[in-house]
Amino acid sequence: MSNEIILKIEKLYKHFGSGDALVRAVNNVSLDIHKGELVLIMGPSGSGKTTLLSMLGTLLKPTSGRIFLNAMDITSMGENRLPAIRAKNIGFIFQAFNLLDALSVEENILLPASLMPGGMNSARSRCRKLLDKLDLSHRRKALPPTLSGGEKQRVAIARALINQPPLILADEPTGNLDSEKGQEVMMILHDIVRDEACTVILVTHDNRIEDVADRLLWLEDGELRDRKSEAHTWVQDPVCGMRVDAWSSKIKTEHCDNTYVFCSHRCQQRFEDDPDQYLDSKSNV
Amino acid sequence: MIRWSIKSLFSEGLGLVASCIGVAFAFLLVIFFIAIFAGESDRITAYPKQVNADVWVMQKGVANMHMAVSQLWDWKEDRIRSIEGVKTTESILYLNAVINAGGRPWFTYIVGLTKAAQYSGPWDMHSGKRIPNRGEVVIPDVLSRLTGLNIGDSMQIVDDTFTIVGLSSGTFSMANSIVFINYNDLADIMSAEGSISYVMVRANEGVDTGQLAQRIYNELDKVSALPQKVFIENDHHVAMQMGVEIIALMTFIGSGLALVIVAFTSHSFVSRKKRELAIAKAMGFKNRHIYTGVLMQAMLLTFFGFMLAVLFAWLLFPLVTILAPEISLKITINALIILAVSAFFVASLAALWPARQVAKVDPVSVFHG
Repeated sequence: MSNEIILKIEKLYKHFGSGDALVRAVNNVSLDIHKGELVLIMGPSGSGKTTLLSMLGTLLKPTSGRIFLNAMDITSMGENRLPAIRAKNIGFIFQAFNLLDALSVEENILLPASLMPGGMNSARSRCRKLLDKLDLSHRRKALPPTLSGGEKQRVAIARALINQPPLILADEPTGNLDSEKGQEVMMILHDIVRDEACTVILVTHDNRIEDVADRLLWLEDGELRDRKSEAHTWVQDPVCGMRVDAWSSKIKTEHCDNTYVFCSHRCQQRFEDDPDQYLDSKSNV
Repeated sequence: MIRWSIKSLFSEGLGLVASCIGVAFAFLLVIFFIAIFAGESDRITAYPKQVNADVWVMQKGVANMHMAVSQLWDWKEDRIRSIEGVKTTESILYLNAVINAGGRPWFTYIVGLTKAAQYSGPWDMHSGKRIPNRGEVVIPDVLSRLTGLNIGDSMQIVDDTFTIVGLSSGTFSMANSIVFINYNDLADIMSAEGSISYVMVRANEGVDTGQLAQRIYNELDKVSALPQKVFIENDHHVAMQMGVEIIALMTFIGSGLALVIVAFTSHSFVSRKKRELAIAKAMGFKNRHIYTGVLMQAMLLTFFGFMLAVLFAWLLFPLVTILAPEISLKITINALIILAVSAFFVASLAALWPARQVAKVDPVSVFHG
């Protein structure tokens, strides 16, 4: 990881709706991400992770704030300039793989290269290297519907890398894979950061992949907090018994000088209605 | 994106085949209308074409044959024959009339032939006698098949009864058929003894037909004299004027149908591929790249549909002429070229609707599900 900042986010807001229906999907997020860094963004469902990723990928305009990619202010650029920025600077990896079914593995990988000055032909040797590296050479003529989940995700990774972008944005890349394939994909992403010197920002729910990240960011209610994976403090919800991270949870109740953490407001409400029923629980923090 | 759009289209399988067949039928409809029109126009002018006179002489103010009335004194033919450059002449008496045969009316050219007729009579005989005597009639073979009337049968023309003595070929069309009777019979029907309708002039070799027509016009009062080419053009023009609007309307409807089918197919394709288009946009493809892909698909679909329509036409038209001999079909290369150009515009127009959809595809949607 170098000290060079590849992505700088300044006071980023994204609000949807207005009045009582106002949703603060991303709320005052500021962040610097360095070249060669593997950053994990975690958080509960609906916390704004995908909205943040969409804005970093220039697919969504923020309500306010600025994003600098390689020192270029991508938030102030016109819509007509953004596709070229994406093609050259950003690779996308999606949970649902998002391969084009009519194209072969090789054609899928080469597709973004058609947007570059040299076109597909100049990217063919890199494509072959990526196919070798990701163990897809024997499947280069195959169509996506005939691939396994792991193979599809490796094709998606190769496609994201074909134009050698400095930034890879991955949205739940292990979400549709079993643990073995998920681990394999994570190791590939880890190697990419090391070998290709690019930055990977990864949105996930998957706790198993925390170990490979350089940095863990926790996004909840649109706000971002930096934390290390060791910061987990697992406790049990006194009402339903579910495992809850006391470090990240905001649903807390003070009772008899103890702090109780809950998985949901529903459990919190039930506890507050009749705390004695749950007091023998071990879940104070 | 063009590679993707082509491969995507072909990956549609049965959907693509169904769409192509739909487009093909719409174009087949257009080809059918155009072919009928061309065939009928051709048949309408069959008589002057086959007679192949160099100059046509008729009553002043008349310039064609279809739906026209012309009357000249018969002595004018003798005068024409004496004009320099004239080799031979033949004259006919001619009447447009509706005759009843087989229980239905038929719009007919009734041509009254003299006994000496050489080139003004039927040019191709199916069977029987070529030049009718008094009380005899030569009818088109197609009319015979459609009405069940045959050689030896009787039929009514205006107020008189005639015996069918011959069946001619190439003299029937839906708009008019040509029956030949004796000059004197037609003169009786028209009360036009001593009159003729058209004089068909054949010129000596090397004579300029335009100049000959002008000479005839100058030397005779109250006549029109036109070279064969101009006379046929006029006849064709009148036929076109009478049928062009309805054919144009049918062609417009057929083309419109093709447009709707191509547009709907492209639209449903874009709807099905919205997610893939969003992926392409997220990767950095611009709307214009995707428009090009959609346009290419519409073009290909139209091209396949068009070629299929031509193939269907090639296979079906001989069958149509056997099953429905009253229909005369003619396809020209020019007509197909015009139709191909129209198909190109149909494809371009059809791509506009899905192109609007493409513009609305939000690349953010790639993150959802």
